Amino acid sequence: MGADNGALSPGETRPFSVPGTPHFGAQTDMLKTLDESTKVIKQSQSNKMSGTQTPSVSGIGTLLDRPDYSEAKIVVAMVGLPARGKSYLSNRLLRYLRWLEYKVEVFNVGQLRRRKARDQVQAGEGPQDHSHTYFSSTNAEATALREQLATESLESLITWLKQGGNVGIHDATNSTRARRAKIQERIDREPGLQCIFLESWCDDPEIIASNVALKARSGDPDYKGMSKEEAERDFRKRIEQYESVYETITEPDISWCKILNVGRQVQINRIAGYLQSRIAFYLMNLHLKPRHIYLSRHGESMHNVGGMIGGDSPLSPQGEKYAAALPALVLENVGDHPLQVWTSTLQRTVATARNLPYPKKTWKSLDELDAGVCDGMTYEEIAEKYPEDYAARDENKFGYRYRGGESYQDVVVRLEPVIMELERQENIIIICHQAIIRCLYGYFMGLSQEELPYIKVPLHTLIKLTPMAYGCEEERFHVPIAAVDTHRPKPARRNTGDGAVAAPTEEKKSGAARDYFGDAAPTATSHVAVPTPDPADAKSPTSEEEDVERKTTTKISTEKARQNVLLQHAEEHGKKASEVTQEEAGISQADIARALHAQSMIGNRAPTHLIKYYDLPEETAENALCAPVAAASTKKYNRHKMYCPRDGCNSLILSTGTADWVVRESGMVRHPLIPKR
Amino acid sequence: MAAPLYVTQSGRLWHAGLILLVTVGLPARGKTHVSRSLERYLRWLGVKTRCYSLGDYRRKVLGAAEKIPADYFEPGEKSEETKALRKRIKDGIENQVWDFFSSQGGQVVIYDANNCDKASRKDLLEKFEARGVHVIFLESVCDRREIIENNIRSVKLSSPDYKGWDPEAAVADYFKRIQVQANKYEEVTDDEGPFIKIINVGERIVIHRIEGYLQTRCCFFLMNIHNQPRTIYFARSGQSLIEHSYKADSDLSPAGWEYAERLKAAVMSRRKQVIEERREAGEEDLSETKLRIWTSSRRRAHHTAWPFVQSGYKVAQKPQMGEINPGVWDGLSTEEAKALYPDEWERFLSDPYAHRAPRAESYHDLSVRLEPIIFELERCQDDLLIIGHASVIRCLLAYLVGLPPNEVPAVEIARGDLVEVVPASYGVVSRAFHFWSGEGRGDESGANLYENFAEATVGKGVVDMTHVLPTGTTDYEEAAAAEERGEKEKAKGLTRRSESKEV
Repeated sequence: MGADNGALSPGETRPFSVPGTPHFGAQTDMLKTLDESTKVIKQSQSNKMSGTQTPSVSGIGTLLDRPDYSEAKIVVAMVGLPARGKSYLSNRLLRYLRWLEYKVEVFNVGQLRRRKARDQVQAGEGPQDHSHTYFSSTNAEATALREQLATESLESLITWLKQGGNVGIHDATNSTRARRAKIQERIDREPGLQCIFLESWCDDPEIIASNVALKARSGDPDYKGMSKEEAERDFRKRIEQYESVYETITEPDISWCKILNVGRQVQINRIAGYLQSRIAFYLMNLHLKPRHIYLSRHGESMHNVGGMIGGDSPLSPQGEKYAAALPALVLENVGDHPLQVWTSTLQRTVATARNLPYPKKTWKSLDELDAGVCDGMTYEEIAEKYPEDYAARDENKFGYRYRGGESYQDVVVRLEPVIMELERQENIIIICHQAIIRCLYGYFMGLSQEELPYIKVPLHTLIKLTPMAYGCEEERFHVPIAAVDTHRPKPARRNTGDGAVAAPTEEKKSGAARDYFGDAAPTATSHVAVPTPDPADAKSPTSEEEDVERKTTTKISTEKARQNVLLQHAEEHGKKASEVTQEEAGISQADIARALHAQSMIGNRAPTHLIKYYDLPEETAENALCAPVAAASTKKYNRHKMYCPRDGCNSLILSTGTADWVVRESGMVRHPLIPKR
Repeated sequence: MAAPLYVTQSGRLWHAGLILLVTVGLPARGKTHVSRSLERYLRWLGVKTRCYSLGDYRRKVLGAAEKIPADYFEPGEKSEETKALRKRIKDGIENQVWDFFSSQGGQVVIYDANNCDKASRKDLLEKFEARGVHVIFLESVCDRREIIENNIRSVKLSSPDYKGWDPEAAVADYFKRIQVQANKYEEVTDDEGPFIKIINVGERIVIHRIEGYLQTRCCFFLMNIHNQPRTIYFARSGQSLIEHSYKADSDLSPAGWEYAERLKAAVMSRRKQVIEERREAGEEDLSETKLRIWTSSRRRAHHTAWPFVQSGYKVAQKPQMGEINPGVWDGLSTEEAKALYPDEWERFLSDPYAHRAPRAESYHDLSVRLEPIIFELERCQDDLLIIGHASVIRCLLAYLVGLPPNEVPAVEIARGDLVEVVPASYGVVSRAFHFWSGEGRGDESGANLYENFAEATVGKGVVDMTHVLPTGTTDYEEAAAAEERGEKEKAKGLTRRSESKEV
């Protein structure tokens, strides 16, 4: 080492810059040698710098901290009449900012009110009247109560911000100047806090009508026991009560952003700070036109076959088959609507998309996560050469940055512009890579940073996302062309004994449905409730039936599933759920089992997040316009199977040949494309 | 934020058709400031943009003020002769605009004129929409006298019209001129079509029916610009152990650590000197603007900011600011790259801005990646020190200075120079201060070919946009060394104190 040290002293030429050295991948020992030799320099250097320490330099990656957002303390106070899409906007904002790792919470006054009312009922104090009269400005008692609720909600928001939150969204009507002045004055008293009002203003009767209808039939407890018509009538009256005192925002001295008719016109006033302007810009780009977003990985590549990460390899013969089968599948879904195709710049995505008869764009930003020095290595190789680093990545996969490469966190930053542009687009298919799809999917589904790097995105599967008012609906089409499984599940956490057991995430899930009380619905099937398979079980062949059988052991979930199936049956026949019995409806135990299965897939966001699975018939592959190709790899293919995309679940969903069932929100129904046998 | 920009067969970008931005507003409302900033941004994005100023065109065609008929600017009925003259000017500039769209492959035109009345705007809109051009009004409104007065003093008084005038009299005269037009001024209303309204230099912005890719980008850009005085400093990161490897992400070399210390000293002494300059200029408010530091998340850059971290400065790591990715050329010298990839090398030399070597980034890719940084930089009101890589600084400087994309790879930025950029009314003033000439300043060997491409293009039209201060002003190398000594003493003092505490 002494010689190395000498060679690196000032005045000498750099030892590694001589021509002929290949890149510093982790495959060779060169990197280790370098780190060994520079340790000495760092030591002597840090002595010179009066004992200061710089972060260590060695290995093949580093764990990043969360980005430092401590300066951002923003209160976003919503303004707008009911049914103007306030909650929609705040929900979108929440999803976007959380994806960028800001700590965001929505403080919904309506939820607080309902929760209190519910608690009151539970305490036996009788129900409160929350019909339209409660919202009248002439009802002095109720007005005082509502004021008090809004203040209480704002106070808890401020407390939360001071405890480390970044953006608190105050979701209330805040419909008068006086009310807004009060909020502004309260926040001005807190040093470091900034306030921005966000008004959603709407006079398009269609948008209002659809919002009203959504509210009336979506199970709002305020309208419990009312018919849809009654509920709608009462809700419209409630709006009138607000309208009579409503003042649109025009105050010149405070910071605000006004969105008219979901983006037709946007006004912004005194927007200070980059985050605030980004929030305004993000909201500007949203639109409500119905559309679908299709996500697909490239066809199986030669690197996939060899188990190597990164690289820019061509498609394998199986991957070519997928590229040939894709246009028919896309056409079936898209019909004659226009479609944009986005790919990355790597050849495997360009090749996968080449048969699609639509305009195509390649984005550098969609390239796969850069594995830096590990590019082109297999996981086994990495584990062998750098066992500690390999383990470190599983500690915090989201924040692990490959040396000379990227982390998931970096990818999210890189994809932020793509998301902005994506929000503006209509029908679109994105053909890119595992890590990139995980990040995009995580954005649309509102998944946490812990879950995001473990989302299952199998090869040869088309994911179809349909943005809805409160989240996304998802369908998956699995093309039966065998491919390797590149998913690497999170290994079971080693018990380190220092209390490093994963704390349950406190952040609430933002699913596709509304949460009326501001707490997770207690009846929802908890993901944890599904027993994970014993190692002893693992050797038994997991056919679909057995897999489902195993889960029926969870009693509460079974009951919930039964109710769901009944409910669906009732809805289909226009009856009330209570009027249908299991026997009449001809619902078998197997139906319930399937419904239960659907829930287990959905996990603790049930019944909000629905995924429909389509396992396409073999003909899709056979009809593909490709010449038969010989198997190219000596590696064994995994028999292709569908697994639950949530990590830790591992439940088998369907395998080829049994694909005429589709999992829906509340059970399984027949695949629309497959005729009954 | 930018999407990759694709040039279609027509030579235009796939995202947008033709766009005509028509400025609307009374004189001294900052129309030209907004137009020029927007033009600079769009050009940097690679959009073929031109600003057409009616005033400039009139001066060019009609000559100086004395040749213009007396009733040319006056309200009310005009003589037939003046009407014809006005029409000639109007048609002339409109023909030029159309010519730029139709035969020069232009995509965006900013038509800088007052366009104060509805009738003339309607006329413009109809004429150009009929030809397939998307017309957007860009209105600047201002109701605060001090902003207008400030604008008049800083921009209008230097115009040839007021040569030799007493400033106060000139301001009064200009206000009178504005008043004449203000009487017949009609604000843009919702029914006129898409518009962007900027009120009191960005204090409030109204965006109406703006759709389309470039259009929304323009909006976001306008949402972020401001005209507060501030300074942006650029410096390269220190020398690293393996200069030519991107992947190794190596740490600073001993020379690099020394450089880091000296950089901090140089920045501190330069900031001190700026305060002195302001005192000499008779400024009363000598408070120092807060300094923010941004580095890339590459080790060499972040560690170059280490002395700042030590003194308690907030150093933000921006992952988008990593140097240009050399792809398969990583670790190769120029000679090796030539030998291994002769075709690629040829193409790279013929178009160093747009060529993307296998798995590498082109300068265009880098610009796209840096766009969010540009917005953040525009929005930032504090002083800013950017410690980065040559390629990144090149792109950012090119944007600030307004260089066309093809000149980006040739911007010279040597290690050991502190580049200072001060935004001025219609552009920036940039200066370079030399503070260090140790090891690794240049790269004569050409080993690090992508990063140091400028150094490898010596003699091929290098754009020298900075100038080192003439000797005699301040010797920054010496000042930095002195400052560093001072810091060291202080640091020693601190250590001693903490030691005694422990005892």
